[in-house]
Amino acid sequence: MIALDGIRKLHLDPVQPPVFDGISLRIAEGETCGLCGPGASGKSLLLKIICGLVRPEHGTVEVAGRDLGLASPDELRSIQSRIGYLFQNNALFDSMTVQENVAFPLRQRLRLGQEALDEQQILARVSESLRGVGLATHAAKMPSQLSGGQRKRVALARAVVARPPLLIYDEPTAGLDPVTTAKIYDLLGTEQKLTKSTTLIVSSDIDALRRFSDRMLMVYRGRLCYDGPSADMDESASPVVRQFVRGELEGPL
Amino acid sequence: MTRALLTLGMVVLSLCREVGGMALLGFYTFVNLLRGRFDAKELVRNLYKMGVVSVPIVSLTALFTGGTMVIQSGIFVQRFQAYGLLGWGTGYAVLREVGPILIGLMFSGRVGANNAADLGSMVVTEQVDGLRALAIEPIPYLIVPRVLAMMLAMFCLLVLGDAVAIGGGMLFGKLLLGVDYASFYASFVDAIKLWDVTVGLLKGTFFALMIALTSCHYGLSVKGGAVGVGQSVNDAVVAAALLIMVSDDIWTMVLR
Ligand SMILES: Nc1ncnc2c1ncn2[C@@H]1O[C@H](COP(=O)(O)OP(=O)(O)OP(=O)(O)O)[C@@H](O)[C@H]1O
Ligand SMILES: [Mg+2]
Repeated sequence: MIALDGIRKLHLDPVQPPVFDGISLRIAEGETCGLCGPGASGKSLLLKIICGLVRPEHGTVEVAGRDLGLASPDELRSIQSRIGYLFQNNALFDSMTVQENVAFPLRQRLRLGQEALDEQQILARVSESLRGVGLATHAAKMPSQLSGGQRKRVALARAVVARPPLLIYDEPTAGLDPVTTAKIYDLLGTEQKLTKSTTLIVSSDIDALRRFSDRMLMVYRGRLCYDGPSADMDESASPVVRQFVRGELEGPL
Repeated sequence: MTRALLTLGMVVLSLCREVGGMALLGFYTFVNLLRGRFDAKELVRNLYKMGVVSVPIVSLTALFTGGTMVIQSGIFVQRFQAYGLLGWGTGYAVLREVGPILIGLMFSGRVGANNAADLGSMVVTEQVDGLRALAIEPIPYLIVPRVLAMMLAMFCLLVLGDAVAIGGGMLFGKLLLGVDYASFYASFVDAIKLWDVTVGLLKGTFFALMIALTSCHYGLSVKGGAVGVGQSVNDAVVAAALLIMVSDDIWTMVLR
């Protein structure tokens, strides 16, 4: 589903070392992958590269068998419309109500001719999605009237509403209490079973992330320093990875 | 010496970057507009937010602008007993110069600043990325409607503002100088040509384009969170004021 080859991306600030210096990875269809790494290691940036929002200076990005660097604008659009993306900052549109926000991807797919839904069906899908995140009664509110956690859940509802084959979540549980976090992961799991979608999750909550995903990736200093089963992370040969998962003060990090 | 040169170089470079960025934005906006690629719903929403809501503040500005012109020229009008020239003087100054500039600056402070902050916070909270991830291009969806709305709103506000300013001139002329409405009106209609109105409207609409491009450019290039948004709003307002002043001189020379 996703194939990255030799990704190199320079930092915005020219005096800094490149954010990515040769990242290659492959994620198969239906796989669930967790991506972790220290702050500002480029996790969000990597997700944006996969989604075609940022172009790397070197290397190729393939999504659903198409090279994003070579795709025409139309092709890029059709690939992007098959990705559900939960942004770290939620990216809810301020000028729209919760309901309009969640309906937006569906309306957009309708406009691009990728979905044949009537207004009734759209509204049904939206309220189903909002019920899933427990916010059915907040449909008419504006995003600015919601709490941080509620906003995150609306953004989640919006990411999954079109049932895309590739789901990208950037910090889906940041700033949420443990129970809501568990609920969110439960929700992600249900969604995953339902749609068999490929899922890529970035989270700082390593334990929850490892419980949820079979495979873990870790970026550090521009490279992938771990790519393997979640269970083997503790016993990794790399001291960086071991220190990171155990949260120890002493070590190379 | 090298430090000074370095600073100068940096200033020139950043100036080129900002001006170039604005020109490019203007070009893309124009191309998309010509192809009719823009979001009509956004246009209507922005027309309301930028135009309708600005009516009270623009009217107030215009009313007192007309008053100021009368008070200023009042000294001479009284000294030379030139009551018949009040309408002409006020009309000429308001329609051609003072109206477009003052309303332009007011518009920049209210609408331009708001627009830069709005776009800036959309960038910071990844809403612009969110649009692009849903295969919506930011220029036709966000920028063209805003530029168009600002120009249209400014045009209408100027027509309104001109009328209110002239009315204000009449009112203040009567109250302060005892010039009756009929003679003010007669001297206004006699001396003011349609061209004077057109010049003012052209200028003002051009100012709106400048305000739109600066605020959109600075809004979209926000970096560094909420602090960055504030900085961008600041830069946008300053740049717009500068561009208004400079382009006003050029227009005044070109359109005599
Ligand atoms: N478009 C870009 N091009 C080049 N560098 C970028 C770009 N966007 C962000 N960066 C830089 O990349 C670095 C990593 O940013 P990123 O937001 O991906 O970190 P992160 O791993 O998601 O951090 P956090 O855990 O805090 O969310 C930052 O230093 C940032 O300045
Ligand atoms: Mg991040």
